[in-house]
Amino acid sequence: MTENYQRREFIRQMAAAGAATLAAAEPRLLWGGEAGVLEHPRPTADSCILLWMGGGMAAPDTFDPKRYVPFEAGVPVGDVESTFPAIDTAVDHIKITSGLENIAQVMDRATLIRSHVLPDLGSILHSRHQYHWHTGYVPPQTVACPHIGAWMARVLGPLNPVMPAFVNIGQRLEGVGEQEELKAFTTAGFFGSEFGPMNLPYPEEAAQSVRPPKGMQAARFENRNRLFKKLVDQSPQREFVGDFQRESQLRAMENAYRLLSAKEREAFDISLEPKESYEKYDTSRFGRGCLLARRLVENGARFVEVTTEYVPFLNWDTHANGHETLVRMKQEIDRPISQLILDLESRGLLDRTLVILASEFSRDMIMEGKPGSKANDQATDKVDVLQEMKHYGQHRHFTGASCVVMWGGGVKRGHLHGASAPERPFVAVEDPLSVTDLHATVFTAMGISPKTVFEVEKRPFYATEDGKGLAQTDIFGA
Amino acid sequence: MRQSIVVLLLLLLSVAVKAEQTDFSHEIVPILREKCGDCHSGNQKEGAFSVNTRESTLAGGESGAAIVVGQSKSSELVRRVISTDDSERMPPEGEPLTKEQAALLSKWIDDGAPWEPGFSFGAPTYEPPLKPRMPDLPAVIDGRNHPIDRILDNFLMNDNQPLPADVDDEAFLRRASLDLIGLLPTPEERETFLRSNSSDRRDQLVNSLLARDIDYAEHWLSFWNDLLRNDYAGTGFITKGRTQISEWLYDSLVENKPYDQFCRELIAPSTPDSAGFANGIRWRGEVSAGQTVEIQFAQSVGQAFLGINLKCASCHDSFIDRWTLDDAFGLAAIYSQQPLELHRCDKPLGKMAKPAWIFDELGNVDPEAPQPDRLQQLADLLTHRDNGRFTRTIVNRLWHRMMGRGIVHPTDAMQTEPWNSDLIDFLAEDFVSNGYDLKKTLALIASSRAYQSKAERVTEHTDAQGYRYAGLRSKRLTAEQFMDCVWQMTDTSPVYIDAPFIRGRADSGNLIASLPTGSWIWTKSDSMNIPTDHSVAFRKEWFLDTVPGNVMAVVTCDNTFKLYVNGALVGSGDDWMSPQLLLLPTLKKGENEILVIGKNTGKDPGPAGMFFEARWTNADRKPASLVSDESWQWSEKLPNDRGKYKEPVDDWQSAVRVSDQSTWMPRVESKIALMFSRSNSVAGKMSRASLMKSDFLTRSLGRPNRDQIVSVRPLELTTLEAIDLSNGETLSSVLNRGAANLLKREWRSSEDLVRWLFQFSLCRDARTEELKTLNELIGSELTLTAVEDLLWAIVMLPEFQVVR
Repeated sequence: MTENYQRREFIRQMAAAGAATLAAAEPRLLWGGEAGVLEHPRPTADSCILLWMGGGMAAPDTFDPKRYVPFEAGVPVGDVESTFPAIDTAVDHIKITSGLENIAQVMDRATLIRSHVLPDLGSILHSRHQYHWHTGYVPPQTVACPHIGAWMARVLGPLNPVMPAFVNIGQRLEGVGEQEELKAFTTAGFFGSEFGPMNLPYPEEAAQSVRPPKGMQAARFENRNRLFKKLVDQSPQREFVGDFQRESQLRAMENAYRLLSAKEREAFDISLEPKESYEKYDTSRFGRGCLLARRLVENGARFVEVTTEYVPFLNWDTHANGHETLVRMKQEIDRPISQLILDLESRGLLDRTLVILASEFSRDMIMEGKPGSKANDQATDKVDVLQEMKHYGQHRHFTGASCVVMWGGGVKRGHLHGASAPERPFVAVEDPLSVTDLHATVFTAMGISPKTVFEVEKRPFYATEDGKGLAQTDIFGA
Repeated sequence: MRQSIVVLLLLLLSVAVKAEQTDFSHEIVPILREKCGDCHSGNQKEGAFSVNTRESTLAGGESGAAIVVGQSKSSELVRRVISTDDSERMPPEGEPLTKEQAALLSKWIDDGAPWEPGFSFGAPTYEPPLKPRMPDLPAVIDGRNHPIDRILDNFLMNDNQPLPADVDDEAFLRRASLDLIGLLPTPEERETFLRSNSSDRRDQLVNSLLARDIDYAEHWLSFWNDLLRNDYAGTGFITKGRTQISEWLYDSLVENKPYDQFCRELIAPSTPDSAGFANGIRWRGEVSAGQTVEIQFAQSVGQAFLGINLKCASCHDSFIDRWTLDDAFGLAAIYSQQPLELHRCDKPLGKMAKPAWIFDELGNVDPEAPQPDRLQQLADLLTHRDNGRFTRTIVNRLWHRMMGRGIVHPTDAMQTEPWNSDLIDFLAEDFVSNGYDLKKTLALIASSRAYQSKAERVTEHTDAQGYRYAGLRSKRLTAEQFMDCVWQMTDTSPVYIDAPFIRGRADSGNLIASLPTGSWIWTKSDSMNIPTDHSVAFRKEWFLDTVPGNVMAVVTCDNTFKLYVNGALVGSGDDWMSPQLLLLPTLKKGENEILVIGKNTGKDPGPAGMFFEARWTNADRKPASLVSDESWQWSEKLPNDRGKYKEPVDDWQSAVRVSDQSTWMPRVESKIALMFSRSNSVAGKMSRASLMKSDFLTRSLGRPNRDQIVSVRPLELTTLEAIDLSNGETLSSVLNRGAANLLKREWRSSEDLVRWLFQFSLCRDARTEELKTLNELIGSELTLTAVEDLLWAIVMLPEFQVVR
């Protein structure tokens, strides 16, 4: 069925590409036609869930423990490397930090990357780094770059035709700081909105987004649609039957109606989850987002992002009081993430679902940017010696090395990739992995060549920058 | 079932990571150009071998096939470039290929020798002329003597195609209204138009639509905001790396500023109001050399005004057209305040860019001149009488908007051959002779029979063999047009706009009706010797039974004022000769408070007075006002900076009308009247979507994030958009309020409402069978849900969403 479906999807996209030539300004897949020579790798995953730790998750306080120094007034800030002690995990040679005890138990299904390096863009603007991480391109750019979820939607299409291919959970795009900058990458860019995200900022309200409008009973919704179709049939503009604008509009309306009345829409309703299971996820909006992601993937979603939500100075974006904030953040993520992995596994989905935990960069107690960076120190209280609890935490943005965790989807289990330096500065010292290569790895797992290229404004535009992304093949395998 | 598929896939698949594909444009083109190009490209064909196209490269020459696709080892090309035999090795002179270059060629062949579609090393088959040209108009056919028709009728005749049939009056009315002012014709306007017996009623309609200068401006604003990437919110504003040109743009459109002047003001701004375009977006932190504000300037000028894409050339000499790194950096250096170093793909080249523009044949800037002079010179060169590229680019954009497809297409790729050069050249020259008047060119297009013909039916096969003109193409409603039309029919447009300016157009010809009626007040009638630095709070308690929208106020004070409404700062002024026109924030039902802090300043004691006048339109459409007079109160107790009193003021006293009003009034009354005439000009006009920030629905419907120039909107409705339209909060709440509004009106019968809706939304009468369908839905009684569903079904129709 999947194979058939993909073929149909391919044909559909070719047909769409035919229509797109009418628009001419729309992107065109290069070398991907019948005579094309671009070969996509064989996928090891059908779906992808990105768990986004927005705001900069400090590696030394999460997945890359360094020397733990408990809080004590008078201790020089620079003496502290981690504010949480290390704990054991299900894998002998991998330690992470306290507060992540549940995740520790599923690290034997994970590949942990400790050498993810991000560019230092001179001065930190979170949303700019997030744009880079989500699109593979550093803004500003001359064209609107597609989010990696949009690449999957564009190249692979939906796994289940009634499910939106790209769902984005947990990030509000209105009423939060840097909202315009967030919108700039939460988009399909030049691919057009067909491939853009379905945004579900509140998981508990997701069901509403695929239901008939508020207050409208199913019968009325059906009647309304029938009325619409009848008026279409009765329209005197018969000469436009077959016109591509008319047909594409009717097709879109039909697809929307199908989703809004399909059984799959129940996947969006997390209140239907059995109580016992619901409670395991019910730590926070993020936790409930993980539950929603699982339900969507079970029903054939292609790409789902769940974020702890980026709001300037909140959540992982600790400019002060970092330790105590992270105690809360870990409570929010620990149980839902481990439960997500276990649930996917027990449903037989983990092998074909790539789950990625990542963040736009790491943090450090004292170093802003990376060694030699000219970036301004943005910590709220610039003290040399710990005085109060609020001074205790990773309050500087650090780009030299950060952690990425991947589960399922063909990656190795209980595997460690790369390392950061044992002494500060904690830059990547083994197997550094750039965003470009990480994307190439993710795309490869999903069956998309990192060299996939579209023509936009007569220029080639690649899935990874200049088509240069190299998949980190040694993290795949049993 | 699903389980078994998963298992099956696991059996079938293993991790297979294919080696990376060759990048033809970046890896192969430079080698072929540098090492083979001198003898085997363009007109050079040594040994009968040319690398101009993929076909000619594969075919080879006298030595036989050059490439065996997929087999580099059997390819003559590879054999010859790595040969150690001097008599065989290519190139025969100069450095042989490096090992890496040879390896790239081999890999490229093994990869299947992919080629950029359409790419050729040969001379481009088409190089657009720069000079303007006025073509000879061909003979009139069938009495159709409009110049556009003379050109197109002959074109169609030579192409053995029939002339497109004329469109009927109803469709023409809807099309012209939506294209020119972005609004639906109302049922009344429709009635008037259809009743007219005048033979030139279509021309009259076009002219009357274009004469609606505010409606015109508020429609075309979206087009220009897209093209000049201007918006009311967006990236870059938080770090103050970007400024708006909104007010300048709005006023320029309202007054229909000649396009050459318009462009000069954007490129060489004489005020900060129009500087945002040239200054681009400055991001915090470091930016790649291909994206500095200087390079953005080059790209924006090239794309918006000349249809030239300098994005390739910003990093390296373009592989697809004639533009080079020097061209891009030369243009950037005109703008740059500092010497600008050339960078190729982000690597410095140790060479400074020389300020220069790209069409040297028209002259060039003085590289030694200071930056403002260089910009002025660039503006002059761009708008040079002999720069046909400049005029062709804009008339082509207008043609595209009106006719659904460019004469040169895509409209941002002006190096492409037009399908009819007489047509574009004629329009461009006519544009010059009409004084660079955008409206006149629009009127010219709209008055042609070509525009007034039936739309072409376009299927996926229509352009399979390339584009062939066969009449006008339908356009999809833009996000803004869609919202405007829905708001228009249902009276649901928002009260407040996001654009940071006062809408409307001041009318200096009719000031009498707008003369101020308020009085200058102070604490006593003789206010000619008020000590300096004396501040007074003036208060008006204002009780409202119903809340008016869009209350405009003019405030001024000798010498300075701050205005607070219900504790929020609304505006301030520090020159009594420059009254301020301000839009008051949302008022509330019941008690409201207007507070003006007036201050007398200056070296010595002097005259003091405060003037306030607010005007609005009541629900019954009657004008109303609130003015400064003796019902106001004053106190010397002042609020804090936020306009709040910590303790209630216990000494409010009645304000006094200053005895000598002539101290101020004669010198500001015409200014005040001009301001009110501006706000009067939009009385009763709904807020337009072009004046709002984008929201979920308009973004979904294709309004771009204006971080980049996006000159063309999407043509097709997508599934996610259809979902937003089917159950999204934004539209359903508009339809809900809209249905309630419609029900408030008097209808003779439910059929009466249906007929009216069809006339409004589709500009035609409902057919009998449609009335029957809707009669079944609605029945005899109009209910809220029935009207809501009816509205939804109508606005979802392709007939509604497409301009035909």
